[in-house]
Amino acid sequence: MHATPVLRRALGLGVLKRWASVIALFALWEGVCRARLVDPFLLPALSEVLRRGAGELWSGELVAFTALTLYRTLAAFVLAGAIGIAIGVSMSLSAPLRWFGEPVVSFAFPIPKIALMPIFVLWFGVFDLSKIVMTTVAAVVTVISATHLGTRHIDKYLLWSAQSLGTHRRALFWKIVIPAALPAILTGLQIALPMCLIVSIVTEMITGGRGLGGYMIYASRFAESDKVFLGIFLTALIGYVLTEGLAMARRRLLAWHPEETVMV
Amino acid sequence: MPHIEIVGITKVYEQPAAPPIVALDGVDLTVEHDQFVSLVGPSGCGKSTLLHLVGGFISPSTGEIRIDGRPVTGPGPDRGIVFQNFALFPWLTVRGNVEYGLAEKGIPRRERRKVAQHFIDMVKLTGFEEVYPHRLSGGMQQRVALARMLACDPQILLMDEPFGALDAQTRLILQEELKEIWRQARKTVLFVTHDVREAVFLSQRVVVMTARPGRIKEIVDTDLPADAPRLAVDALAEDIWATLREEVLKAVVPGDRREQAP
Ligand SMILES: Nc1ncnc2c1ncn2[C@@H]1O[C@H](COP(=O)(O)OP(=O)(O)OP(=O)(O)O)[C@@H](O)[C@H]1O
Ligand SMILES: [Mg+2]
Repeated sequence: MHATPVLRRALGLGVLKRWASVIALFALWEGVCRARLVDPFLLPALSEVLRRGAGELWSGELVAFTALTLYRTLAAFVLAGAIGIAIGVSMSLSAPLRWFGEPVVSFAFPIPKIALMPIFVLWFGVFDLSKIVMTTVAAVVTVISATHLGTRHIDKYLLWSAQSLGTHRRALFWKIVIPAALPAILTGLQIALPMCLIVSIVTEMITGGRGLGGYMIYASRFAESDKVFLGIFLTALIGYVLTEGLAMARRRLLAWHPEETVMV
Repeated sequence: MPHIEIVGITKVYEQPAAPPIVALDGVDLTVEHDQFVSLVGPSGCGKSTLLHLVGGFISPSTGEIRIDGRPVTGPGPDRGIVFQNFALFPWLTVRGNVEYGLAEKGIPRRERRKVAQHFIDMVKLTGFEEVYPHRLSGGMQQRVALARMLACDPQILLMDEPFGALDAQTRLILQEELKEIWRQARKTVLFVTHDVREAVFLSQRVVVMTARPGRIKEIVDTDLPADAPRLAVDALAEDIWATLREEVLKAVVPGDRREQAP
C-alpha cells in the first residue's frame, strides 16, 4: 500500500500540528526570559538550561544519573508488567482468586502508594531495591486491573468458533483470550510506563540516592535552578521517548484492530 | 443409525430480573447421514438456539442430542459451524482465519496454505488473503466464515443463515458451490435460512418451525430430482411459504404478550 501525496502531506501537517503547541510553549519560555520579565534564578531561559546540559554532559555524572533512573524505571516496569499480567490473568481464570483479588484491587487502587515508601526503606534499605519495589507496587495495580478487565469478558462466539475448529478447552486461554484481551492489556501497560518514571523519580527525591530525582533535589538545595530545570527537561524527554516507543509497539501488535487504523 | 438425533429438546433461557424465555419446546428431529435439512421459521423462534445445541455450545433444559448415537457433551471439530454473526478472529488475516482449524488439526504449513487458498478462491476472496476482518464488508466476512468452516472438512455442517449478508448474485453462486460440495463430499447439513426458495433448492427436507416457543410445525420433503423444472421448485416454495406465513404473522401480532425481539 502506498500513501497518496495528499495523505503524505496530511501526515506531515499532522506531525507539525502535533508539535506546534510544544514548540510554542518553548518559544514563550525563551521569550519571557529574554525579555527579562522574570528573575533568571526563578526561571532560567531554555537556552541557558540547554547550555548547562551540554556542559554537564562532559562531567559524565548526569549521564550516569539518567541511566540509573532509566534502569530503575524499566526494571520496575518489566516487573509490574509481568506480575500484573500474571495476577490479572489468574484472577480471570480462578473464581477463588477473583473473590480474593477483586476487593483487594479496588481497595488498593485509590491509595497513594508512595505512602508505603518509608516501610519499603525499612524492609529493603535505601538503595536500588526499595525504589524498584516501590515503583513496581505503584504501577502493578493498574496492570492487574486492565488485564483482568480485558480477560474477564470475551465474546463467547470467538470461544465457540475456536472450539468447533478443534481448539481444546485448555488451549482457549492462550489462543483466544489473550489475543482478544491484548488491546486492554497494552492500555494498562501504557498507563503503567509513565507512572513508573514518575514514581522512580519521586523515590529518588525522597530517599536521595542519585538518579535524576536525586540530582534535582541536590540542585535545589544548592539553589541551582538551571539544574532543576535541566532535570525536568530530561525527564520529559525520557518520558516522551518511552511512551512513544510503547505506542509504536502497540500499533505494530494491534495492526488488526479497528482502532489502530483510524488516523485523523 | 441416524447421524443426528434431536430428542425431546426444550431450551429455557433463564435470565436475571426477567421472566425466563422458552426458546424451544419439545423438538424432535432425526437427520440421516448425508442429508441436507433446512430450518425455516419466524425470527426469534429458536433456529440459532437449535444449531447451538447441536454444536454443543449450550446444553438443553430437557432432552438429548446424539451424534452417531453418542450424546453431545460439548463442541468438537466433527461439527463445523457458520455463526449468524460470523465470529471471525479479528487478530488473524483472512488466510489466518481459514488456516486456523487446519493448524489445530496439525496439518503442515504447506498443505495448510494450499487447502486454505482453495477455499478462499472458492468464496471469491482471492487477493484478500492478507486483509484483517474489520476491513471487509459484512458479505465478505460471511464468506470467510464459510471458508473457515469448509477448510476443516467437518462431517456435519451447521450453517446459520450463511448467505444472509450476500447480494443476490453471489448468493446464487455460493448456493451452487455448497450444493456441489455436499453432493461430492457427502456431508450432513443443518441449514438455517429465511429464504424458502433457497431452502427448497438446496435441501432434501425443509423443517418449518412455529413462532416462539419453537416447535416443529411441519416437515416437507423437498428432494427434487436434479433436473426438476424451476416451476416445481417455485410451487414447493409457495406451499412452504403459505405454512410459514401463518407463523410469521403470529410472531408479530400486535398486543401479543410475548416480548418482541429488540
Ligand atoms: N443467550 C440468550 N439469553 C436469553 N435469551 C436468549 C438467548 N439467546 C436467545 N434467546 C431468546 O431465545 C429466542 C430464540 O432465539 P434464537 O436466536 O434461537 O432465534 P432465531 O430463530 O435464530 O431468530 P433469528 O431468525 O432472528 O436469527 C429468542 O426469543 C431470544 O430472545
Ligand atoms: Mg438466529
